[in-house]
Amino acid sequence: MIVFAAPWLLLALLGLPLLYWLLRVTPPQPRAQSFPAIELLRDLPVTEESPARTPWWVLLMRLAAAALLILGLARPVWGPGAESEGPGPLLLVMDDGWAAAPDWAPRMAAGLAALDRAARQARPAALLATAPTETAAPPRVLGPMPAADLRSRLLVLRPKPWPTDPHAAAQALSEWRAAHPGPLTSLHITDGLEAALLHGPLTAAGPLSLMRSQERPRRILAAPRAEPDRLHVTLRQTPLPIASQAAVLARTADGRALARAVLAIPPSATEATAALELPLEIRNQVVRLEIENEAGAAAVALLDERFRRRPVGLLPGAEEGADAPLIGDLFYLDRALAPFAELRRGTLDALLARPIAVLVLADRPVAPGREEQLLSQWVQAGGTLLRFAGSRVAERPDALLPVPLRAERALGGGLTWEQPQSLAGFADTSPFAGLIVPAEIAIERQVLAEPSPRLAERSWARLSDGTPLVTAETRGQGRIILFHITATAEWSNLPLSGLFVQMLRRVVALSAGVAGVPEGEAALAPVESLDGFGRAVPPPPAAAAIAAPALESTIPSPRHPPGWYGIPGADSAYRRALNLGAALSHPQPLAPAPPDARLLPLESLPTERDLGPWLLAVALVLLAADLLVSLRLRGLLVWRAAALALALALPAQAQTAPEGAPALATRLAYVVSGDEALDELQRQGLAGLSDFVNRRTAAALAEPMAVVPGESDLAMFPLLYWAISPNAAPPSAAALAALNAFMRNGGIILFDTRDDGSGEGFSPGSRAALRRITQGLAIPALAPVAEDHVLRRAFYLLHELPGRFAGGQVWAARDQDRANDSVSPVIIGGHDWAGAWAVDGRGQNLHAAIPGGTRQRILAYRFGVNLVIYALTGNYKGDQVHVPAILERLGQ
Amino acid sequence: MPSAVLRAEALGAHLPPLVVEAERVASTVMQGVHGRRRAGMGDSFWQFRPYLAGDAAARVDWRQSAKAERLYLRETEWEAAQSVVLWRDGGPRMQWRSHLAEVTKKERASLLLLALAALLLRGGERVRLLPGPPRSFQGRGALPALAEALALAPEASPSAADALPRHARIVMFSDFLGPLEETRAIAAQLAARPLSGRLLQIMDPAEESLPYAGRRRFEGLLGELPAILPRVEAVRDLYAARLAAQRAGLADMAGGLGWSFSTHRTDARPETALLALWQGLAPA
Repeated sequence: MIVFAAPWLLLALLGLPLLYWLLRVTPPQPRAQSFPAIELLRDLPVTEESPARTPWWVLLMRLAAAALLILGLARPVWGPGAESEGPGPLLLVMDDGWAAAPDWAPRMAAGLAALDRAARQARPAALLATAPTETAAPPRVLGPMPAADLRSRLLVLRPKPWPTDPHAAAQALSEWRAAHPGPLTSLHITDGLEAALLHGPLTAAGPLSLMRSQERPRRILAAPRAEPDRLHVTLRQTPLPIASQAAVLARTADGRALARAVLAIPPSATEATAALELPLEIRNQVVRLEIENEAGAAAVALLDERFRRRPVGLLPGAEEGADAPLIGDLFYLDRALAPFAELRRGTLDALLARPIAVLVLADRPVAPGREEQLLSQWVQAGGTLLRFAGSRVAERPDALLPVPLRAERALGGGLTWEQPQSLAGFADTSPFAGLIVPAEIAIERQVLAEPSPRLAERSWARLSDGTPLVTAETRGQGRIILFHITATAEWSNLPLSGLFVQMLRRVVALSAGVAGVPEGEAALAPVESLDGFGRAVPPPPAAAAIAAPALESTIPSPRHPPGWYGIPGADSAYRRALNLGAALSHPQPLAPAPPDARLLPLESLPTERDLGPWLLAVALVLLAADLLVSLRLRGLLVWRAAALALALALPAQAQTAPEGAPALATRLAYVVSGDEALDELQRQGLAGLSDFVNRRTAAALAEPMAVVPGESDLAMFPLLYWAISPNAAPPSAAALAALNAFMRNGGIILFDTRDDGSGEGFSPGSRAALRRITQGLAIPALAPVAEDHVLRRAFYLLHELPGRFAGGQVWAARDQDRANDSVSPVIIGGHDWAGAWAVDGRGQNLHAAIPGGTRQRILAYRFGVNLVIYALTGNYKGDQVHVPAILERLGQ
Repeated sequence: MPSAVLRAEALGAHLPPLVVEAERVASTVMQGVHGRRRAGMGDSFWQFRPYLAGDAAARVDWRQSAKAERLYLRETEWEAAQSVVLWRDGGPRMQWRSHLAEVTKKERASLLLLALAALLLRGGERVRLLPGPPRSFQGRGALPALAEALALAPEASPSAADALPRHARIVMFSDFLGPLEETRAIAAQLAARPLSGRLLQIMDPAEESLPYAGRRRFEGLLGELPAILPRVEAVRDLYAARLAAQRAGLADMAGGLGWSFSTHRTDARPETALLALWQGLAPA
């Protein structure tokens, strides 16, 4: 169906016959011909008139061009949806709560199409978004205003990470109706939630159309439940008549997906659960669960410390001497556990007063009575009690042991024939399965377990002769684990080995997490929020702090958007998550529409196409062809000249330089590492940086390029970025020569090992690779980048130089080489700057910064700007050191 | 003046090809007419004469004198060279060519003029350029200088102010498409000097055949009013008749003055026209 936006212009088609007649009676211009003997031609008798008519095809072409011009100006639109017929202005009601996020694009398209139709009908329009805004303002009606003006207001609308507020919306509507009475046509693009409060007044005022998605279920990721060795994720959705599937992704802080759980949802079910089983070591890295391919804050669950933090309490047999180096009861435990667990010390009462995940009793018997009861209750409630044997425990066994103890035995030594025993490999069913047992481990003494039928299944580790070394028993929701040796090197050398650390890590990882409630009523300020699409963004302006105890019961709102909350200024690692999905109840099925409303599906909205520009373009092409033809008819045109002009008018494709000729524009470059993912990261990083530099500075950088030293010409690049891959091979002789020449002639190479500071251990082996690579390079003596180094003040004043990681050291040449403008030819660091700069095709950052925050990202970009300016201008800003001297001289 | 030097150099840069081409055309004609060894007319021996008092000592032929006891002077034949005046029309009408011809009429006229001049210079004649420097060119080496003078010469018709040797001969290259009366006046004024002459009408093939068709607007090269012809092919015969009448008028005029008249088309070989010209001049 074609509708004309300006149909009265079609009247001009009536003028076409007149045009036809005019064109017909006007003869074409004669062809001109220069001729010397013109005097002989003068006054020759004219015998007959040649048919001086415009050729019929030229006539047809001109008429067609004129007709197309008229049709195009009448702005025909192909296939518009049903015109909203009705009186009065158009009221567009947009639901922009969390439920609108997954299909926001079609909603927006439908809204824009409705406004376009209203604009064609010159009908004023008004807009009502039903969710509170980011500034916590209640919904209000915008308009009425010309529909074209409202378009820009609609375009900035985004789904909110909180529910809509139908009451406030209904109130806003009634206030608006009071000011603008009269007939009204309304279109509600609804998320399907109950909206009778709105529909009543709207149907009373005029025709109402309801546009909603019929097929798509609304899905919510409920709060996950942590179990010792798995995470249970629960998905709630509106029931579907058929079986469906969904997947939940577990992501780390830097955006990597660690695991994917598939949930099968039976027909007409509203809930599905799946377990995310993760290797124990990486379980704690998960900070975010999200439903795959589902945008929206309700599809994201952030995992905070409750799911990760495992405080470990240490209780020695005797307080005095427990920390004595090498012989103290807790010396080795402290060393082994401190890197990955929060350790607490104190009396048993003090330790149990606060939630802890693991309690370690190192050769400490449990006194019967109150102490035993206290511990027993704690274990039943989910605590993990880890005990180490010793002479005291062997003398007085108590009830809180996984197996009854029999005696103590010594293996090896002066008075026994037996040799010290080594450790057998771990069984597959043991939680220690997979750990490598070093051969040099020797157990000289241990306590023996009383033989019992259940001893085998309770043994987690055995000696090579089969005696249990580690036994465990599940009691209630908790566990008791016993190491049949001391936690010191007295009975065995196991505490001296790395295996000990790994075993302890597994034990702690098995324990249930505890919710760490900070002391008192501390207010938690928003650190990072989720937007309506579930992306991490800086907190909106209206976001306010929440008292810690109230966090559990808070329903997300503009004042409290979902996201991370933490104690400002204090321990920045402590964060609590406010999740939208946890606060929402079961999604309701679609609310019934009012009987007199017209229901429109959202998905099958016919697309509109404005044909006007195309018709005008065809008309212009025809007119241009007509110009050529008439020039030709008058002899003013030589075909060859026309072809030449046409060739010149075409885009100069033959002139395009070979792709990425480095001499034509300033551009950054990165050294190809051979690792495709790393190269892509470098490319995206430099693209992001170039974009930032282009926006913020006068430097104009083109797309970054990949270079291979020794093969590519490096002379045109001011800066080479070189992310070191752990398995990088040393460069060839030609590459070394090229790189040395590059540095000698003023180029800068930034080496990035991507493993420094907070990123320690992310790229093991890259430092060795850096040593390999730089062995043949003329690297000058290095020093940490000083506080007054030009690199810190070339554009921004920077005190730290973070990338994706922060806290490491950045190195540059120590001696100022006057020959090279005092510019350091190398900068070496490990902050993974490219990771921080990297943007994808939509301009969004790909990798989360660690420890994180918008500020770190901004600082990373600022370091990049400084780096580029440093590479481009050298020590220009270094001249500032002379400013005091110059000022002094001026003063005299 | 530097600019004059520059202009001269620019002209000189394209002169040699014209001179070479003229020499080539001329040499073919020479062989076709004479077919004999060339002899220097001005150098031929006439007689030995005994030394008389008052003769310059430099004129004594010492070799002859050594054979005898008297002194002898060597006398050469007295030569009175013929002067030939050459004129080439260089007006806008001449700077035109149709799609049927390779060269403009002016280029062909220049070529024929230089080739004729080359022949004449080799024959020892004096060549005068009109309009041009008020001196005659003589000697075989004068051809480049003549070519340069031709390129630099202003475009003008011969006028009474030109000082010309009497009884010289004149060769005029033009298309003679102007009004017959003007041509007649110029020719009569030249014939009264007295000069005997030869007219060569150089025409473009398109000017003879009028190969155009359809509705055309003809525009003159001298700024004349354009003439619009609704069907050119219909008037082709009429045009040919007018052209024939023009030629007849020219031939009559030339005959009346005792001059000769011939035509040449730019798509024909220049050698033919040169041979005819040379033969017309040679018997004199």
